[in-house]
Amino acid sequence: MGLLENMQSETVSRLSLREPLTAAPSATVRQAVEIMREKNLGCIFVVDENRKPLGEFTEAMLVQILRENPAAMDEPLEQHAAKHWPWVKLTDPISDVLDSLETKNVRFLCVVDDLGQVVGLTGQKGLMEYIAEHFPGQVTVQRIGGQPYPLEREGA
Amino acid sequence: MTNSSSNNNQEFQDPLENYDPKTYGGRLEQALAEELVGEIEHEPYATIPPSMSVFDAVHKMAFMHVACLLVEEDSKLVGVFSDRDVLTRVALEYEHCKDSPVAEYMTTDPVFVYSSQSAAAALSVMAVSGHRHVPVLDNQQNIVGIVSPQRVTEFLKRSL
Repeated sequence: MGLLENMQSETVSRLSLREPLTAAPSATVRQAVEIMREKNLGCIFVVDENRKPLGEFTEAMLVQILRENPAAMDEPLEQHAAKHWPWVKLTDPISDVLDSLETKNVRFLCVVDDLGQVVGLTGQKGLMEYIAEHFPGQVTVQRIGGQPYPLEREGA
Repeated sequence: MTNSSSNNNQEFQDPLENYDPKTYGGRLEQALAEELVGEIEHEPYATIPPSMSVFDAVHKMAFMHVACLLVEEDSKLVGVFSDRDVLTRVALEYEHCKDSPVAEYMTTDPVFVYSSQSAAAALSVMAVSGHRHVPVLDNQQNIVGIVSPQRVTEFLKRSL
């Protein structure tokens, strides 16, 4: 079975999902950045007491805040989080992840269960890892940064 | 004369006669192995000098809506400054560091790929090494572009 068929038959649950970072609506942008920095993850969700997502905040939004109004670092995160964000269900085919990443030009995808609760995070890196698993002979043995061939001719 | 030529032909054995060309499981695997990094879209890209202030670099990144700037000195890559650097090194100390040169906060010795390497190399950097934006250099170490996961995703989609 080829990669495309696998992507159509295997579900998002097959991807290595990251634990999503969450913060309460009252948390400040600064507090969210502290969590993101500690976990080295560029995305955090604002969730209510039932872990239902209310908004998404990413490192790209952080750059915009620093450009427009650095003082907003101490404002509530909820004010700066996106109210709409891309998501996939745990039971969706992996090909939906590829489609979303390509058409929506996003880095992260929120993974929700049937109840709409956030259960994980995937995105560009998760998909790359999945494809690399399929072609270990091509991908994982690559030598990075070395000269592909000698610049000078050898010999006389 | 004719006989002699015929005998020579019989003695000659083509060393490539038994060569089996490499077979692949599918079009994508073949593309990863045989197409080059240079065939993945790697332009446009944005460069800054290491002396640029963090303030200006952040503004440039935000204005251009790019996640990574290539830091260039004498036409050579000396670092990258990405939104991850902003998150992990700059954001919480922004007032303190915004006037400092970006060289103090960029990622030095970035992982890169050569445009003449196989497309799989770009995927390897992202999947195995965990870097999302990968500078592309030519064989003289000049910057020729950058590949992002978005650009690799488009390449993959095209090759499926």
